Amino acid sequence: MDKLLKDKKAIILFVTPALAMFVVILVIPIIQMFYYSLCDYAALTPPVFKGLANYKKLFFKDATFKIALKNSLFFMIFSAVTQQIIGLFLAVLLTNIPRGRNLFKNIYYLPCVLSSAALGLLWAFMFNPKIGINQLLAKIGIKGPLWLMDSKGFIVLPMWVIAFVALWQYVGQNMMLYMAQITGISRELFEASYVDGASKPQAFWYITLPLIKPMMITSLSLNCIGSLKFFDLVYNMTQGGPNHRTEVLATQLYAEGFNYFKYGYASAISVVLLVMCLVVTVLIKRVIKVETYES
Amino acid sequence: MFKKGLAGLLSAAMAVGMLGTAMVPMNIMADDVEEITWMFWDDLEATEDLISKGYKQILDRYNEEYAGKYHVTAITTNLEEYDGKVNALVAAGQTPDVFICNPGPNLDVYVNAGVAADLTDILQNQEKEWYDTFTDGIFESLTYDGKIMAVPTNFAAACVYYNTEMFDAAGVEVPKTFDELLEVCQTLKDAGYTPISCSAGTAWCLSMIAGYLCDRQGVDLDAIAAHEANWTDDVVVQAATKLKELSQYFQETAAGDSNDQATAGFYNGEAAMLVQGSWAIGQINGNNPDFESKCGVFQFPAIEGANDPNRMIVKTDNLVMSSTTEHQEAAVALMKMFTDETAQKYTAEIGGKFPIIKNVEIDYEVAPAQLKYVVDIMSTATGNFGFYNESLASVEAGDTFDNAMVDVFLGNQTPEEACQTIQTYYEDNVWE
Amino acid sequence: MAAVEKKKKKLLSPVMILIYVLLILLAFIYLAPLLWMLSVSLKDNAGVMSAPFSLPETIHWKNYAEAWRLGRLGAALLNSVLVCGATLVISLFFGSMAAFAIARMKWKLSELTHMFFLVGMMVPVHCILIPLFVRFAKLGLTNSRFGLMLPYITFSLPMTIFLLTGFFRTMPREIFESAAIDGCSIYGCFFKIALPLCKTGFFISGLMTFVGNWNELLLAMVFISDPARKTLPVTLTYFVGPYATNYVQMFAAIIIAIAPTIIVYSLFSNQIVEGLTAGAVKG
Repeated sequence: MDKLLKDKKAIILFVTPALAMFVVILVIPIIQMFYYSLCDYAALTPPVFKGLANYKKLFFKDATFKIALKNSLFFMIFSAVTQQIIGLFLAVLLTNIPRGRNLFKNIYYLPCVLSSAALGLLWAFMFNPKIGINQLLAKIGIKGPLWLMDSKGFIVLPMWVIAFVALWQYVGQNMMLYMAQITGISRELFEASYVDGASKPQAFWYITLPLIKPMMITSLSLNCIGSLKFFDLVYNMTQGGPNHRTEVLATQLYAEGFNYFKYGYASAISVVLLVMCLVVTVLIKRVIKVETYES
Repeated sequence: MFKKGLAGLLSAAMAVGMLGTAMVPMNIMADDVEEITWMFWDDLEATEDLISKGYKQILDRYNEEYAGKYHVTAITTNLEEYDGKVNALVAAGQTPDVFICNPGPNLDVYVNAGVAADLTDILQNQEKEWYDTFTDGIFESLTYDGKIMAVPTNFAAACVYYNTEMFDAAGVEVPKTFDELLEVCQTLKDAGYTPISCSAGTAWCLSMIAGYLCDRQGVDLDAIAAHEANWTDDVVVQAATKLKELSQYFQETAAGDSNDQATAGFYNGEAAMLVQGSWAIGQINGNNPDFESKCGVFQFPAIEGANDPNRMIVKTDNLVMSSTTEHQEAAVALMKMFTDETAQKYTAEIGGKFPIIKNVEIDYEVAPAQLKYVVDIMSTATGNFGFYNESLASVEAGDTFDNAMVDVFLGNQTPEEACQTIQTYYEDNVWE
Repeated sequence: MAAVEKKKKKLLSPVMILIYVLLILLAFIYLAPLLWMLSVSLKDNAGVMSAPFSLPETIHWKNYAEAWRLGRLGAALLNSVLVCGATLVISLFFGSMAAFAIARMKWKLSELTHMFFLVGMMVPVHCILIPLFVRFAKLGLTNSRFGLMLPYITFSLPMTIFLLTGFFRTMPREIFESAAIDGCSIYGCFFKIALPLCKTGFFISGLMTFVGNWNELLLAMVFISDPARKTLPVTLTYFVGPYATNYVQMFAAIIIAIAPTIIVYSLFSNQIVEGLTAGAVKG
């Protein structure tokens, strides 16, 4: 068996196509990005090497970057916690109901297949003071807040709104991942545990949870990377406004690069983003330890 | 097994890939047709924008008139992705032969990078007749160190539109000064009307009012650019204070309303006044044809004892020719067509913007009623200035100004603090 | 689960009823905004502004016809299907091979390779857009569907590999061992055992990357200039003008654009999950 699994020729055959495309199309631009982050690069004129100037400005002078960093971290933590818990909860509920499992699963997953741009627009409409939810609230005598323009507090209200919309849109993804894993657990395991007198919560705790741990790493990593890179909903609902208060790292880098033509600076933000994603992924792997079948 | 499977899948993949390539329509062209590209920020088929529709006609006319000689293809994106795509094309050496560009810092970028062709010689020598048709002084904002870098296609002016029925009902006259404007607003409000429709959700809409207030108050942008004046000077603070004062008469939802909504609020009779560019005329009359007869226009009021009250905010749309184009004659022919009488007549009579050439006979019977009012106001104008966000040191500086004004409006910053924010930005980034 | 069905003594317990109420409420929160979008797509623009929540007074089917014609949605649909379909097939194939090698085979660099692919998920596409475009322009690959497929495949690979690695790793070692004893080659293990067992993994990673590509705007916008080769998300932006947006036609176009995804998804999702619960995994 081991001999089979150590077949060098097979490994090379398996990995090369993906690796080749990956290196040519992605890795080279990434290396360029690192270089540009050290340059003054106005998009249309050649880059001029400036050392760490962009990073210095980013960390010590840029107030918008601080807001973006704060918002991105908030968004990541909020999404990770809520989407994991609710996603898993829904997956467990749906795998345990006798009827309508597919129907509900399809409904909850529906927003995931729609474009964030379209949904962002839809929700911007919904939270618009003139035509949206506030009109419905006004009918029962409540004066709704400025959902997307309020700017008080450490985490401003529009950030919460966007975070909830993201939860609405993406929780289906975690649910799907967990459902796939749970339905994959062989039925005999559960039946045996019930015969031994285990209750449903016990079965969940001692069978389901340990067996979906690998999926937890996967879905949590996807969650965190996705929320750190998050762009679409913010861009379509607030464009980072009012006055940069809902800026996240991805929208700030877009504005610097595409609106202000500061590619070098935008590259520096990208590098920060990349490093943050890496750190988070490694942390998740360290924290959730998994015994694989291999070891 | 593996090889067979791999081969099968690969050939399936290849087939799909090949299909993708094979389906590309081959543009087989006669050798003597010069093919050029023109880039624009709105789709020409699906658009509802009247100016965009006019541009489509120009392109069709060009391809018909020069059939067999020149041919132009439009590359379009939406406004959001426009700069990104132009930059990508420029970086890849595929700069469109002619492309549209905003004046100010946006044009600066292409001029500084050497992407825009110097048109001085073409205009002043080779095509003198063409050059002479243009309105005097129209090239001012497009000239860098004496070199003309772009050709305008039209311009729009910002004015105050008002609902004459509401003014009559409330018994108020058109205000001439800012103090009168405040009084008119108060009277309208007492009579149960929303005085002004404005969007702070779209920052430039609010910023247009702020720009007018700054200019009326006497803010000198050239002096600021040269650091002979500061953003913290009293004139700027006063302008911002007046903005705050005026904003109490905006509709209740101004903070969240988009540009579309603010304009809709005006033509649906929910508010009495709207400060907008003249492109809104088409939008107003198009959505509510009955409104044309009750829509009046007046010049933004004066601030007594301050600057010249007859200066207007204007904005041109401009064509830049690529400095690397291999089809200069075809490109010039296209730009000429954008500025010929047919195109310019359309601009005014249908598009709701203004011609940039002299001697166009506009049939005001056909044109929207508001156009004539704006023309009348312009005839008394003593000078003009650009949108503030297009008149500052960079796009980012413009955004900083817009955002500071939004913050004043929202009450997050006092006028003094907001001015300090812009000042700090200039100290860190512009005046270094 | 099935165990519950067998033990079904009462028809529905109170807990079950509570669960159903909760699920139905949640379903309402999910469907209401989408139904609202459908209702908007059947109004006229003035109606959207004045009474956004009411049902359309007269049904404007012509929004769909207009959106289809003005947005050139027919061609765009074909382009999207071609590009995303080919991307799906190739990225799943390449991705599953690499994932299998990383998850099941024994070599020193496997963990590093895994991490290396992961980095691909962390790069913001905005920042590599220009270098990527410049390189593709030099190769003459811009403005072609094939040229757009290449980055789509590449961007889909990290996600595919990441998800499939997870699925391959959870497969019991014993199946492969017994296959090996039966004289199965490593390629046999991959094609005959790993791939069929990984249906759910394929479905999920395929769905996630397909949806991502189907909705991708920025690359498509920058790479393709020829209107005949544009994909759906690009054509949706046609309805956003510089000063005003044509909401009704845009929403109509959005609904046309999402319909295929929803249909395909609902067709396949049930089959696969049912197939699994029917007892495909015996270990």
